[in-house]
Amino acid sequence: MDPSEVEFLAEKEFVKIIPNFSLDKIYLIGGDLGPFNPGLPVDVPVWLALNLKQRQKCRILPPEWMDVEKLEAMRELERREEAFAPAPSPYYMELTKLLLNHASDNIPKADEIRTLVKDIWDTRIAKLRLSADSFIRQQEAHAQLDNLTLMEINTIRQFLLDSLNCMYKLRSNRQPASAKSRLADY
Amino acid sequence: MDTHSYFPVTPGVGMEENFLSLDDILLSQERLPVRTECVFPRLGFLEKSSDSQDIAEGTKMEFPLWLSKGLYEKKRKVLSVELPKVYKEGWRTVFTADPNVVDLHKMGPYYYGLGSQMLHFDNPENPDIAKTLLQTFIGRFRRTMDSSQNAYNEDTSVLVGRLDCLEKVLFRSGQNGLNGFQSWEKGQASQLTASGLVLNYRKRKLVDVQP
Repeated sequence: MDPSEVEFLAEKEFVKIIPNFSLDKIYLIGGDLGPFNPGLPVDVPVWLALNLKQRQKCRILPPEWMDVEKLEAMRELERREEAFAPAPSPYYMELTKLLLNHASDNIPKADEIRTLVKDIWDTRIAKLRLSADSFIRQQEAHAQLDNLTLMEINTIRQFLLDSLNCMYKLRSNRQPASAKSRLADY
Repeated sequence: MDTHSYFPVTPGVGMEENFLSLDDILLSQERLPVRTECVFPRLGFLEKSSDSQDIAEGTKMEFPLWLSKGLYEKKRKVLSVELPKVYKEGWRTVFTADPNVVDLHKMGPYYYGLGSQMLHFDNPENPDIAKTLLQTFIGRFRRTMDSSQNAYNEDTSVLVGRLDCLEKVLFRSGQNGLNGFQSWEKGQASQLTASGLVLNYRKRKLVDVQP
């Protein structure tokens, strides 16, 4: 999966905006949106929010977790815990990038948030690598991926799958009973 | 990021080979030390060291893997295959001690593939070989993973130089993941680029099209 596909999925998340125009309810396949009234907050998917923002038709309210204090607490928790702490949002990395790139004027302390999210990401990736290594080392057959987000899984997916594949084959070498009988058939 | 205009077939790694895998084809050319167990009549020209017409019983030669695999039979002894030195006891101890220090590219470069293929030949050491292969892979995994996930935009030839062919494939898929993420983060992923296929596609010449 390509990171841009993950980003595409993240754009379906809802975010609150304050429109500065009025429009009746709009009916889309994914659900009904609106009605839009100037000054009244309304929930819309990120893709629409960004589109409206680019045309300067709305103000985006940052999601609840996108707040310096909350993110700092989360970073501390992430560093303290051995296992993965619950992520701020299942699409925290993608949303941070999208919202900060297109609507940084609506988000207070955008730079700090960017740094904090990057810190959280780095801590989580380091943990992911550590657990992948112990997973291989102990030759486990399954692992639980609690609290991991799609983007995190996606960066290591191909590598991990290929390695597990190789390991499986090298492991099946050790029970050559069936293979030997196959050789005798030739 | 490297893209292929074809779908590469990955090596089979285990005892089975992938018929269409380029790596496995190269692997089947690896030479093995063998000892003939019967006379090969009129094939003396293959053995440069003696003038006789036949290859005598008990001659030590080097056969490629595909030939030894074809000639090897358990019931009728045609030849016996000796272990290449990397799979012998002495080297196995080295691999158990610290697999990270070994230059697998020099020792192989198909260390895992050839090792798995060696299991086709009856040898009392087979279980140990299989075990060492697995342990070596596990021991080197962390290094392969870390180097492939951290080396962004730098020369990777030093990192790759000591890897086995199989590990190189893994390294590349790790790099793909990293490069994809980095280019997304920098916003390059949203730019449309021409496919490599189109760039490599040359205009057809009129002579080729006309009947």
